[in-house]
Amino acid sequence: MFRNRGDVVFWIVLGAVLLAGFGVTQTIANEYYYTAIYAILQATIMAVAWNILGGFTGYVNFGSAAFFAIGAYTAVALDKWLGLPMPFLIAASAAVCGLMGLGVGYLTLRLKGVYFAIATLAMAIVLETLINNWDYVGAAKGVYILTPEKVPFFSSYIQLLFMVMLALTLGSIAISRYLNASRIGRGLAAIRDDEVAAECAGVPTLRLKLISTTLMGAMMGVAGAPYPFFVTFVDPISAFNLFVAVNSIAMPMIGGTAHWIGPVIGALLVGGAQEVITVTVSSELNVLIVGIMLVLFITLAPQGIVGLVQKWMKRRKR
Amino acid sequence: MVSRRLFARAAVAAGALAFAAGTLVSAPVYAAKPLKIGFSMALTGGLAGAGKAALIAMEIWRADVNKKGGLLGRPVEFVYYDDATQPAKVPPIYTKLLNVDKVDLVVSSYGTNEIAPAMPIVMRKKLVFPSLFGLAVNDEFKYNRYFQIMPAGPEPKTDWSKGFFELALEQNPKPKTVAIVSADAEFALNAAAGARKNAKAAGFIVVYDKTFPPSTTDFSPIVRAIEAEKPDLVYVASYPPHSVGMVKAAREVGLKAKMFGGGMVGLQFAAIQKNLGPQLNNIVNYDFWVPEPTLNFPGVKEFLAKYQEAAKGKGVDPLGHYLPPYAYAYLQVLEEAVNATKSLDQGKLAAYMHKTTFKTVVGNVKFGSNGEWATSRVLMVQFRDVKPNDMAQFAGPGKRIVLYPKAWKSGDIVYPFNQ
Repeated sequence: MFRNRGDVVFWIVLGAVLLAGFGVTQTIANEYYYTAIYAILQATIMAVAWNILGGFTGYVNFGSAAFFAIGAYTAVALDKWLGLPMPFLIAASAAVCGLMGLGVGYLTLRLKGVYFAIATLAMAIVLETLINNWDYVGAAKGVYILTPEKVPFFSSYIQLLFMVMLALTLGSIAISRYLNASRIGRGLAAIRDDEVAAECAGVPTLRLKLISTTLMGAMMGVAGAPYPFFVTFVDPISAFNLFVAVNSIAMPMIGGTAHWIGPVIGALLVGGAQEVITVTVSSELNVLIVGIMLVLFITLAPQGIVGLVQKWMKRRKR
Repeated sequence: MVSRRLFARAAVAAGALAFAAGTLVSAPVYAAKPLKIGFSMALTGGLAGAGKAALIAMEIWRADVNKKGGLLGRPVEFVYYDDATQPAKVPPIYTKLLNVDKVDLVVSSYGTNEIAPAMPIVMRKKLVFPSLFGLAVNDEFKYNRYFQIMPAGPEPKTDWSKGFFELALEQNPKPKTVAIVSADAEFALNAAAGARKNAKAAGFIVVYDKTFPPSTTDFSPIVRAIEAEKPDLVYVASYPPHSVGMVKAAREVGLKAKMFGGGMVGLQFAAIQKNLGPQLNNIVNYDFWVPEPTLNFPGVKEFLAKYQEAAKGKGVDPLGHYLPPYAYAYLQVLEEAVNATKSLDQGKLAAYMHKTTFKTVVGNVKFGSNGEWATSRVLMVQFRDVKPNDMAQFAGPGKRIVLYPKAWKSGDIVYPFNQ
């Protein structure tokens, strides 16, 4: 866990952020901040998860919304069936979406590049059709989730959701950082650079890709699990929203895909801007702004913000 | 003796005093701080067309009420944000409205999917929540301060299609079989479920009961499959693109059903009416307001004149018969409640709204215990004598004859549909 001084600092910062989050819930009652930050945190998990496969491994996944939605619907189904508490719902969503990710991992045996990307998009459409016809979770009509009025330790339910999401986000970042710096991360980077060469050099490519897709799926499922309790009404159109997938790709691309901090920066920047723009200019501008930022970064700074900062630091050293 | 300089100073001071006094006397009525009404609205995304039209209607109400001196002597202001027809955007918007913007009153966005996510937030603050065209949202929440303006009745899902089947029962020869077809999406499935219940209760045999994906564009195979079962009645629950496709396919195939229509959204919009023209003739479909003499409620024509003027060049429904009068009316309800109780006390407002029959541009509105209209007024109208390429014809009476409910009837049915 603590391999060097950087690790110690990282965990201290993580703990401090979690404690600060809890402290904020005990002092600030304004619910707007929690709902707005919830949305940013959800986007952060999605971005971090996408980056494990898209950034570290080099496999582009267009089906993020499917993992997110299946996470949400797993929570809906289990809440309806057994009335399980939130931690169990999150664990179940992680398990189901992790298995889904494992399945996607096996796809990589035959599909690469654009074909893999198209397959993930197709998977999203197939799963949406399934949910559209699954009456138990409301099918195409959608389903309502009633949230409790009072919760222990917090003055409102959204504060509880905020804390859950904060903990999940920090957990996701920790996993992503660990992967990035570990043997697995180096193996994933080798796959990204040249899969055949990596295989020849003895990198167990299939095993690593399976780890990568399973983790990606589980993390996206985790992001989706609390969503029904946040919106209280879930239907397939909103759960499988293409915008979820677009954001998941755009945020790491803007932040930088090669480093674990890239998607975090991208998500905080783009997600924060989106929340501000929604209540100041227009919601529709979000899409435009994300699009413009994506085009600008891909053409002018393909390594994202992290890449720009790294370049700048190198120049300063010289 | 008063010096000239002193006199000049005194004159200036007196003048300033007089000016100040005059300003105070003639100051606008609005010395008080504005009364803020907050809401989210679908101004972009899938429901943007309707959302923008609703906003125009709401702005007309704001101008009207401010002309009358505002509410409680305070000018009315709107604080609203675009929810982009995305449910996930609704909770942050309502928490901002209530916690940051500190609005005095809230009303809903347009449509079930955008109303439901606001409910827990509004319920926690115990606010009255006038809502705009949500289908049976309160069936789940059971919130006693929810007031929904769409006239779908106390049991919205079944009341929606009741008129279609009651009309069918009155016909001679009496129809026996029915086909029910719906889009695989929220409203359409609910409407189809209600139709199924009503059909069975009325003793019709359901010979076809299927859904189609919302992405469907070719409806001929669906209509051919329906025609193969030779149903007497065809009940369609669909969204605008599907409704257009179904009507065109029914005409192409030569559907021989005796009644066709029911729950097709879109046939209420002027642009679609113009597009389909005579293909609409004899279709019996739901509606909420049409320019028939029986529905000439006080104020509705004046409102529509203002709306039609304001809607020019904005890409919204130019006639505005469907949603805009109700977007105006749900604010009229709030206006009357505030004026009558002389208060913004949410408990008093809710109590008043439960017991009162409101006079609005959409007629008298009385809410039942679940916040839906106490009595359904889902109209069944029949398109008649529609000419091609003429939008203006729909502005006046005679093109959409009210067949049901009897209290609002403006003509008799042409039966069977395909004669």
